[in-house]
Amino acid sequence: MRRAFADALYDLAREDERVVLLTGDLGFGVFDRFQEDFGPRYVNVGVAEAQLIDCAAGMALEGFRPIAYSIASFATGRCFEQIRVAVGYHDAPVVVVGAGGGYTYANSGVTHHAAEDLALMGAIPAMTVVAPGAPSEISSLLPQLIKLDAPSYIRVGRYGEPDYPATQPARLGQARLLRDGTSVAVLTTGEVASEAVEALDALAAEDITPTHWQFHTVKPIDIAALDANAQSVHTLIVVEEHFPHGGLAAAVYAWAAKTAPDVTIKRLGPPHELALGGMSRTELRRQYEFDAPAIAEACRAAWLKKDKPS
Amino acid sequence: MALIELETEGRPLLDGDAADQLARRLRATCVQMAHIGGEGHLSSALSCVDILVALFDGWLRVSPARSNDPARDRFLFSKGHACTAYYALLAAKGFLDPDLLCTYAQRGSPLINHPCRHALPLLDMSSGSLGHGLGMATGMLYVLRLSRADARAAVLMSDGECNEGSVWEAAMFAAANRLDRLVAIVDVNGLQAVGRSDQLMGGTSLAEKFRAFGWASRDVDGHDVTALRATLNAVPFEPEKPSAIIAKTEGGHGVSFMTDQTLWHYRVPSPDEVVDALAELKERPLFEVST
Repeated sequence: MRRAFADALYDLAREDERVVLLTGDLGFGVFDRFQEDFGPRYVNVGVAEAQLIDCAAGMALEGFRPIAYSIASFATGRCFEQIRVAVGYHDAPVVVVGAGGGYTYANSGVTHHAAEDLALMGAIPAMTVVAPGAPSEISSLLPQLIKLDAPSYIRVGRYGEPDYPATQPARLGQARLLRDGTSVAVLTTGEVASEAVEALDALAAEDITPTHWQFHTVKPIDIAALDANAQSVHTLIVVEEHFPHGGLAAAVYAWAAKTAPDVTIKRLGPPHELALGGMSRTELRRQYEFDAPAIAEACRAAWLKKDKPS
Repeated sequence: MALIELETEGRPLLDGDAADQLARRLRATCVQMAHIGGEGHLSSALSCVDILVALFDGWLRVSPARSNDPARDRFLFSKGHACTAYYALLAAKGFLDPDLLCTYAQRGSPLINHPCRHALPLLDMSSGSLGHGLGMATGMLYVLRLSRADARAAVLMSDGECNEGSVWEAAMFAAANRLDRLVAIVDVNGLQAVGRSDQLMGGTSLAEKFRAFGWASRDVDGHDVTALRATLNAVPFEPEKPSAIIAKTEGGHGVSFMTDQTLWHYRVPSPDEVVDALAELKERPLFEVST
């Protein structure tokens, strides 16, 4: 993911002189080529997240397109005030990049967990909030965020995440169909999508064939995709590596409260508690039951329900 | 008063008496606006009036005609709570219709209590939350340098604002990136919302703090327009360093019963207090109040 991000950023910077990268003293080795070729358009502000954002906002107000990079927990939490005021209130087209959203840095302890980043960023009115699930999604979405001309937040994972096939390209604001199926729809956001891909691969051997939608854009949520699913399946299984508040599930529940769809909604994801104990991300996903086996089990249980009458 | 005559970019400056008269007129305007708008912060507004006069009377390369010129100077009014002074100055300098001043802090007015760019697009920033102006100015200057524009940026902050850590994050960045077209002016009126800044900052020197962060800094009497001008004209104080002007002022300056009183951080003047204040200032506001 990080390689895809760095490559997409490099290409954008080559095409558009307004693109500037600011980092809060993070991303060792990630931006070497950028720094080499674009010199002063690479800006290390130091371990100073408030400055990272206020400075980026000032650049954006002068017509530049700053991309402000730090670890997700710091990029959203430490400078929430700056994002709210200097970026949000000023409608400054800054792309805030949270490296390692969710439990990417699980082993580094609670300070490095970002299970509330989508909620924090989504709470800001002007913000578009994106959590890609695969390197190719970053490559497609980053240029769309630059073109947006408005504040945005994007989660970027680590290295080596698998890509997944999809019939559609990733379009900002639109859920992406990763696998067409029946009766049950699995809705994911962020990198946990690959857990669902793995689960659905395993289920195919059992003739259990749910649909899989990747909601890389959490805000604005794709209401049309939710409405369409409400017509075609009886159960929505929402999977997110995020607290229950302000993430994908919260958006789905808000939609359901408004439209009263004839579907059962089940959420898989961490509870609203600190993930203490130094577990790895794999262990956390297992413990909180939103890894591939848990997703497969939830699909099996849902599959037994009668098909939706057409 | 012919307002347009006060527009001095590239023209001779107001002489000492005229600058003093303008400052008193702006203070009278602040008092009247605070009363009409029902919003306070007069202590902070009256303390920064002379600094605003010095900045806009010849130093800042800005004018109503060149608000879209990328080469114009930037001005970040970071102590947004003192906005009556800024609005009054903008009206005196022809950036605003003085008739708007009586709409201050009323529904639908462009003159929001705490300046808002959505309401008044000519502003370089929306303010009200302290500690953003300096960081935003560093970003502006950094990319203006990339674009080879020779604009400068002045940031007006309060001493209480320097409690904010973000000010010092920005100060570090400005020095590290040699932003010598940046000048930070700290209005040291010594008062905060519920305390005295000296006590809250442990009696330490702001000039020394900025120097320790790699800036050049100078202390100046913040009510002496001539001295303020001379100090501004010396910017950058040292090559390749940002400049800090530590302007010693009095909260509520110009009105004896408002001077150096924490009470007047929030207090809205009563009709009698407006009359007394205007009598002391010996000037009328920039706008007439319909009765």
